[in-house]
Amino acid sequence: MGRISAWVLLAASVLVAVPGAAVQAQPPPKTLHIAVGIDADTLDPAGQTTTTVANMVDYIYETLLRPDYAGGTVAPQLATSWTVSRDGLMYTFRLRRGVTFQDGTSFDADAVKFTFERLLDPKTRVPLRFLVDAIKEVQVLDALTVRFVLSRPSPMLLSNLTYTTTAIISPAAAAKIGPANLVRDATAAGTGPYQFKEWVRGTSILVTRNPGYWGKAPAFDEVMFRVVPDAGTRETMLLAGDVHMAMLPPAPDVRRLRENPNVTLVQAPTDRVIFIGLNTQWGPLRDARVRQAFNYAVNKGAILSSVLFDLGTVVDSPCPAGMFGYGPVQAGGWPFNPIKAKQLLAEAGYPSGFEVTFFTPTGRYIQDFQVAQAVAAQLRNVGIRASVSTMEWPSYVAEITAPPERTRLQMFVLGWAWVVLDCDGVLFGQFHSSQHPPRGLAPAFYTNAEVDSWLDEARTTVDVEKRKTLYRQAQQRIWTDAPWIFLWAQNWYVATVKSLVGVSITPIEKWDAIYATWK
Amino acid sequence: MRAPLGRYVVRRLLYALPTLLGVTLAVFLLVRLIPGDPARLIAGLLASDDEVQRLRVELGLDRPMPEQYARFLASVLAGNFGLSAVTRTPVIEEIGIRMRATLTLAVTSTALAVAAGLSAGVLAAAYHNTAVDYAVMMAALGGVSVPVFWLGIMLMLLFAVHLHWVPAGGSGTPAHLILPAVTLAAFSTAIVARMTRGSLLETLNLDFVRTARAKGIGEGAVIIRHALRNALIPVVTVVGLQFGTLLGGAVLTETTFAWPGLGRLLVSAITARDYPVIQGIVIVFAAMFVVVNLVTDLLYVAVDPRIRYG
Repeated sequence: MGRISAWVLLAASVLVAVPGAAVQAQPPPKTLHIAVGIDADTLDPAGQTTTTVANMVDYIYETLLRPDYAGGTVAPQLATSWTVSRDGLMYTFRLRRGVTFQDGTSFDADAVKFTFERLLDPKTRVPLRFLVDAIKEVQVLDALTVRFVLSRPSPMLLSNLTYTTTAIISPAAAAKIGPANLVRDATAAGTGPYQFKEWVRGTSILVTRNPGYWGKAPAFDEVMFRVVPDAGTRETMLLAGDVHMAMLPPAPDVRRLRENPNVTLVQAPTDRVIFIGLNTQWGPLRDARVRQAFNYAVNKGAILSSVLFDLGTVVDSPCPAGMFGYGPVQAGGWPFNPIKAKQLLAEAGYPSGFEVTFFTPTGRYIQDFQVAQAVAAQLRNVGIRASVSTMEWPSYVAEITAPPERTRLQMFVLGWAWVVLDCDGVLFGQFHSSQHPPRGLAPAFYTNAEVDSWLDEARTTVDVEKRKTLYRQAQQRIWTDAPWIFLWAQNWYVATVKSLVGVSITPIEKWDAIYATWK
Repeated sequence: MRAPLGRYVVRRLLYALPTLLGVTLAVFLLVRLIPGDPARLIAGLLASDDEVQRLRVELGLDRPMPEQYARFLASVLAGNFGLSAVTRTPVIEEIGIRMRATLTLAVTSTALAVAAGLSAGVLAAAYHNTAVDYAVMMAALGGVSVPVFWLGIMLMLLFAVHLHWVPAGGSGTPAHLILPAVTLAAFSTAIVARMTRGSLLETLNLDFVRTARAKGIGEGAVIIRHALRNALIPVVTVVGLQFGTLLGGAVLTETTFAWPGLGRLLVSAITARDYPVIQGIVIVFAAMFVVVNLVTDLLYVAVDPRIRYG
């Protein structure tokens, strides 16, 4: 009896106490809780493949340079200045003085050498090794000066050195943890504003403020990344006050969240371009007029606002805005003109259209499946009967990596984003003929010898103006050849509680909340 | 003539070995028959072909199938199921971390389901064809029909967003357990209630119950002490099956509530085509099912002494 009444009392006190507490304004929390959609696969900078994971790793480790998105260039971080030899084969970096790793050892040229030699070692798992594979040798000139000797000019190298993959690791910490264990343990191994404390698999990653940080100290003592795979649950947890920030709540809820007085929706355009690839080696799509007709037939602006809730910007070039080398080709994107589309189809010999299969993933990009259905409906207006089919992502990847003789692709939805802001990523990756599957991931099988030579030259010359010119030419040619239906650059977004201020979104699909504060 | 318990258990476990061997072959082939290249999926779309190839070699996917199967069997015998292709952690370790969460959730929701389901079923049978019976059966119909992701979100909105009684999702404290356990228990509770009611109604018509009543025993004692015990066999079967299923991880509930269980690990392993993890989890599931079935059979004997080990 006594036990039962104790339970009743306890239950009653919970009922009375908790709702009141939640309504009152809260003091700044000691720990900032951020709901992320996926668990980390690896904490090792070298092994990074996913921006969200890299985003968490960025709290712990730092790179030599950091991206300056506003200026479209790179800025000092662990390196304070650098010089590039005239032939573009020697990069000499002056390192920041007085920086220590979280384990107390000092950051110096040896640590840089250790990090890059590890990145170049075939035994290390480095999926994005292309970022640094032009480096032939790392020379320590003195304690705070390091030189990279390249095997070929690499105009993207400085940009590449801003990505998480190249973050500097403490050799002493790595020896203590064991290089293979850096995958799951980052204890005291970086120079970043936070240090690794705990990773509970499938649940959370906890980092605490680095007391010896060389830069400005962040506001929160701890940051906990909570793994919440379901977008609706992330939103609910934010509304319930369980977390202070949630990445990518469900897109259809974005408008409502914008109107919610307790929530701030932070969004920004990114370099992820969403397109419908057209297999330029399949049937009617071999004809550029047909591909142009597809572009005329689709009303991108209408789909963007009605299906995508305005979470994007219609592209006006194959390379999205904000990248080095970007040049707009057609203001406002390819115009919507179904009459012109029908006319081009008739000219190409398809006055009554044709049937085509249309593959799309589901849930990989914002509203991807819904977008495919809307596009198919608009194509039907000009006589193109596209049948949409979808599949889970791993099977989809198997489709888009199939070689030309085996591919089932005719038209397909895909999104492409690069880790640094340079047109090389999308132009070379998607339109250079060397990148046709299975070698690369350019499943439109676009082939143009001139474009190939421009892109080759642009990734080997260090002449900045020359590169810009080459990319302009390539963008114009590709746009006219229309191996894609050019859609939009996708926005990235997070929702935060109103009290959290100073959060921003970067163009490479990361949030920047290190210096967020509580209001 | 009763065979000793120990020998019975050992024999049952030995019978399970060919089953488990079959499971290893089935899962080994299944993961390789579905499309999707693990090396490409793990390395990501941006990785160059060379890196993907390197990864393929690292993961042993370039080896002939029989060799891969032999290595897999060796890792099963070694008890670690190999290394996760993604995290390079022993699979057994990955499973161990999630097993605690899954066990906690499965045991709690089964306990809830048994407590609530038995009580409701007994009530419904005792008040057969009255408003109580109809109400219980309606609720049970609801319980089997409502999808967990809907129920979960509704409970979350009410108890986490509006009332702030419990956290919406995540894990770590007992409070985190409440919503997922209740959500997960809804279906099992309904099944147990229906099964208890049906079985009890049948038993209540039997001769020995009439005898008990004729002796003047109170209705409550007749139902609880005499009829219920005899009605439990099918209920035990259902609970055993349900529990076995829950041990396999409740994918939807775990995803909805961000609960770090085995079901979610399995789904993320399938998404990454992490063969060793998929294989390891499926074998563990199969083994757990064997054990749960065995325990269920032993419970029969405890419930009804007329049943013998055989």
